[in-house]
Amino acid sequence: MPLALLAAVLPGPPVCAQAAPVVPRTVTIDERLAAAAALAVGDRVLLAPEAGGPGDTVTIAAITRRGADPSEVARSEYRVRLHLDHLQRLAGTGDRVGRFAVASAPGVAPESVAAAIDAAAFGFRAYPAAAVAIETSATFRVVNRFHRAIGIITIVASAIFLLCITLLKVDERRRDVGALRLLGLSRATVVRAVVLEAALVSLVGSAMGAGLGWAASALVNWHYQGVYATPLRFAIVTPGIVAFAVTLSLGLGLVSGWVAAQRLVRRAPLELVGR
Amino acid sequence: MTLVLSARDVRRDYPVAGTPVHAVRGISLDVHAGEWVAIVGPSGCGKSTLLNLLGAIDRPSAGSITIAGRDVARLGDAEATRFRLTGVGFVFQRFYLMPTLTAAENVELPMAEAKVPRVEREARARELLGYVGLAGRADHRPFQLSGGEQQRVAIARALANRPALLLADEPTGELDARTGTEVIALLDRLNRDGTTIVTVTHDEELAQAARRVVHVRDGAIVDDVVRRPLPPAAPADGAARR
Amino acid sequence: MIWRLAAATLLRRRARTALTVAGVAVAAAMLLDMVMLGSGMRESFRGFVEQQGFQLRLTPRGTMPFDSEATVGGAARLADSLRAAPDIVAVAPLLGTKLFTPRAGDDSVVAGFLLGLDPATQGDYVVVEGRDLAADDELVVNANWLAATGRRIGDTVRVAQGYEPQVRRFRGARTLRVVGRARFVMLAGGERAAAVPLATAQAMGGETTRDRVSVLLVATRPGADVEAVRARIEAGEPRVSALSTAAALKFVDERLSYFRQLAFILASVSLAVGFLLVSTLVTVSVNERIGEIAVMRAIGVARGRIVAQVMGEGLVLSLAGAGLGLGLGLVTAHWLNGILAAFPGLPAAFDFFRFEPSAALRALGLLVLCGLAAGAWPAWRAATLPIARTLREEAVA
Repeated sequence: MPLALLAAVLPGPPVCAQAAPVVPRTVTIDERLAAAAALAVGDRVLLAPEAGGPGDTVTIAAITRRGADPSEVARSEYRVRLHLDHLQRLAGTGDRVGRFAVASAPGVAPESVAAAIDAAAFGFRAYPAAAVAIETSATFRVVNRFHRAIGIITIVASAIFLLCITLLKVDERRRDVGALRLLGLSRATVVRAVVLEAALVSLVGSAMGAGLGWAASALVNWHYQGVYATPLRFAIVTPGIVAFAVTLSLGLGLVSGWVAAQRLVRRAPLELVGR
Repeated sequence: MTLVLSARDVRRDYPVAGTPVHAVRGISLDVHAGEWVAIVGPSGCGKSTLLNLLGAIDRPSAGSITIAGRDVARLGDAEATRFRLTGVGFVFQRFYLMPTLTAAENVELPMAEAKVPRVEREARARELLGYVGLAGRADHRPFQLSGGEQQRVAIARALANRPALLLADEPTGELDARTGTEVIALLDRLNRDGTTIVTVTHDEELAQAARRVVHVRDGAIVDDVVRRPLPPAAPADGAARR
Repeated sequence: MIWRLAAATLLRRRARTALTVAGVAVAAAMLLDMVMLGSGMRESFRGFVEQQGFQLRLTPRGTMPFDSEATVGGAARLADSLRAAPDIVAVAPLLGTKLFTPRAGDDSVVAGFLLGLDPATQGDYVVVEGRDLAADDELVVNANWLAATGRRIGDTVRVAQGYEPQVRRFRGARTLRVVGRARFVMLAGGERAAAVPLATAQAMGGETTRDRVSVLLVATRPGADVEAVRARIEAGEPRVSALSTAAALKFVDERLSYFRQLAFILASVSLAVGFLLVSTLVTVSVNERIGEIAVMRAIGVARGRIVAQVMGEGLVLSLAGAGLGLGLGLVTAHWLNGILAAFPGLPAAFDFFRFEPSAALRALGLLVLCGLAAGAWPAWRAATLPIARTLREEAVA
């Protein structure tokens, strides 16, 4: 089973086939290294633990693409995969490994397997894959918290913006509303009309925002997947997020509509028409 | 007698919903210093349009308008603006005072624009407000004044830069009979003190008060009656003495 | 008088003026934060790098400092040859390895980071309590290490470079005395760290670290061409990569490019929001006062004055918003910096948000310009409205 290795990258000059006394072992390299060192499948390279030091001539058997692993997004190392025994010999580590990956039987909870290993094997610590993923995605957790904070600021700004616009809209129609009140429309009707209008504006705005968000997330994914050479999706618009955005925006709309309407109905109709 | 205003074959056409409207059809009119001319006629006859043309607020489609020796129909925007600031004073039917400024500040506004020093303009504003009977209301804002009072402030504002001609568009149109009479009395006093006035009005009382009544129908003058001739010692230039 | 009129207009509708100023303030705060974020990371990192006083970092070929466990052999000879170069005034070799220490009072083991260095030339830590290293059997540690191990300055402790948990055996163990507490400049927050003389660290690792270093810091002579020195080193020593301060900054830029791009996008959005708010308010305000403006034009107020008055409103709104936003921005930047302080792999004292007065002034100046521009269109509309028609329409209204 190949072992992932973050190795010092040592793309050496291709070695002539006849110089190799035995059939070279095979390795895989990732796309980034292949591009940077102009390597292709079948090329022979010198692989050594230290630049300029002794090593093995190996054949590139395959070029791999990185998986969607959040912990590796910001890392720029090249990745070379070797057979375990090959790496152990090359690195001089003897019969040692960094970690074991264990597949549990179908239907068995990884947590219970990890607990069983921890209880049985002294000196080891077993982690379910999900826990490791959480541990190794600290970058994303921090970024996520940062995004939430930015989201809060954005919500405050949106609330002010919405209230301001609603206030402007009702101010603009102050005279019309005053005239309607003089004709006998009740305060409640005016409040209902203003709140309804604000709610509709919020709904239409949030629908447009959801569309814009979807387009922006597609753009963000396209850009960062290219930048970090990863299939990881950086921005996802889920139905839950859309529902949250629409609900929040509707709530803000209702509140701002109500506040603006109260400012209108508190004043006497004659004052509204400017008399 | 000095000619303050001379309009020759003034026309004003403009399109309304694609159809040309001939609001003023070749009006010629002379106004001498010290006169008070009331232009009367039915609604839509073109009298307000004519007043706007005389005040350089609007531009005639044809003809010439000379006021105090200047052809206002040929003025560029900046010159026309300057002319409106110092050459004529305008009084509107709906007063149009700046609601955020006090009565005194409203009167000062045209003087500030004309770069009259602060001390001088404050003194003149007080003087003008005193003249129109609002000395005690100088620091009131428009919403704290009655309609008649607001119109008197508007008249004081129009006189601020000592214009050659005072133009008033339905100055009593928004007022009740009593306050309308007060405003007419004020205009009469102004005229007697030497101010040349042209008013547009529906108000029979106002028309009766003027020295001369010009009847307009369908954009043309149909009658021109001098009711009270100018006294022999009429002012030479007609500029507001107040 | 025109300015008095502009001020009075803004005060006439206090609630919406206050709301607009508040909106602009939030936009200004966001803009300021994003400008601080955009330049802060780079400047903060530059501060760290320059604080160390070395212009070049030599690492095993193809690696970044401490990004992998790779080391360079023949370190003493390499350091001597570098010191002999005419443009180089100091060379500080560093070896970074793991560090295992038994906790005081129980049998648990604390893992950390050990730095082997030359105390005379190092720029990696600042002693804040006790004293610096003076002998091979001494140890300087950080507060996290002290807290995790339950040790104090003056304690003698057993430390090791390797630990086999199955048999509870330490490899390369030494007994050292803690002589000082230090703040490690480049270490991430929460990391437990200790420093020992280079020879001690190399000896603890046995054959795997004998005469080996992770990084060599190189200080050049003032006025020397750093890039030329860098190229000379790389040409003469194929086992190492020489990284200049500029290249290190570029590396950080690349790694944190996401934040710069986010900062750019959010700053643009903030400007757009500020622009929209001011333009909306000024447009509505002009629409409301269209009659007043027509009257002002009718009584002889020049177009320029009208433009100045309307744009003045936009200017006042954005200036007030920018002023408030400055304070708000500093508060939110502090909050956001606290969140990002947990970003893995960055020095604990790394600032994502750094306040640079000139950059802040430029950003807020841009917002104020946006406010001015926001007033431009309604101002032009107000100045060019047809006076007679507007008055007629107002009369009808």
